[in-house]
Amino acid sequence: MKLQALVSSMSQLLQDFQRSLLRPRPPTAAMRGVAPVDYGPLQRILLTDGVGRTLFEEYASHREETRGDEETGWVLLGLREAHEAVVLATLPAGAERDAGIAHVRFNSEAQALASRIIRQTDRRLTILGVVHTHPGTLRHPSDGDLRGDGQWVRQLRGSEGVFGIGTADGPETSSALFAYQPRPHVQCLGELRFSWYALREGESAYRPLPVEWTLGPDLARSLHSIWTTLEAHAERLDRLYRQQTGLRFEVVVDEWGPGLLLTLPLAGSSDAVRVLVRRKEVRYYVVQGGALLEVDLRDEYVDRGVYLLLAELAARA
Amino acid sequence: MDFRPLNDTERRQLINALRGNAESDRAILMDRRDTSFLGTTDEVTDEEVISAIKSVPCHY
Repeated sequence: MKLQALVSSMSQLLQDFQRSLLRPRPPTAAMRGVAPVDYGPLQRILLTDGVGRTLFEEYASHREETRGDEETGWVLLGLREAHEAVVLATLPAGAERDAGIAHVRFNSEAQALASRIIRQTDRRLTILGVVHTHPGTLRHPSDGDLRGDGQWVRQLRGSEGVFGIGTADGPETSSALFAYQPRPHVQCLGELRFSWYALREGESAYRPLPVEWTLGPDLARSLHSIWTTLEAHAERLDRLYRQQTGLRFEVVVDEWGPGLLLTLPLAGSSDAVRVLVRRKEVRYYVVQGGALLEVDLRDEYVDRGVYLLLAELAARA
Repeated sequence: MDFRPLNDTERRQLINALRGNAESDRAILMDRRDTSFLGTTDEVTDEEVISAIKSVPCHY
């Protein structure tokens, strides 16, 4: 009987919902600023100065490293507007990337975790594309890139992606004091050059994409200083984040250097579990009644440590 | 009860919203007072972002 009543109620609800979708209402009320975006072909890419600094600085640093002759790269996060992409964050390839002089495959585990951390504060951020470098002078994505990217862009908003190519063949006259653009889709700083392209699903070739600067952050830059920590703990941190919806991340710096601080609020109070994660060390704390207590728990597996601590707290409650 | 046809803009937005919901799990916003259609959110799901990140192809 109850089931019959429930089915009846659901049928009525469905009918009401269908009617409400088509209910007449004043055009001025339409969508209230949240209308779905009609994604057209990208006409430009907008980089914040923070993102631009990251790309040039980290590319220069990469070239000084022992693996400097390998390809490297970054995933780009930001906002996809109707006709432009605004890049607001860079996720590096990582020390655990698979790379050589002719290829690079990013460590996506750390990048996925980083995207969760960054998107804690802005759920509009999406993946826009990829930058990678060429050790030689090829300033254009390769045929191999086209085969992979042509399939991959189907997953992106507007079925289109942004692709940057970094090379170290800037003009000899280029100043290292400030960046300039010899062409609308090219940025140079000293010997370093980034050339920008777009590729849309079904297109047979990349097309040059004009790039412009604006003031703004690289929202992921603070994470770059703890990237090896993210790579070391990515799988367990990601699992913990998916299991505990209240979990929050932030980058902190103390006398031991930067670390990743996890805060897990405890139900029904202002108490919380806090975990400070570094590459080779995990420390556990409890906030109780406003006091911060360190827990004598040595477990390098952060998810297991948190659940052991929660079990102990439950036993004492 | 009163019915009227949707105009072109409303029809396109509704179709896009329904398609986004079906294909990408994008939320359809509803007015809590009268359940009328309010458009879609421009938020992106974790699954959409993570899936794209984990399938970035090898670059050459």
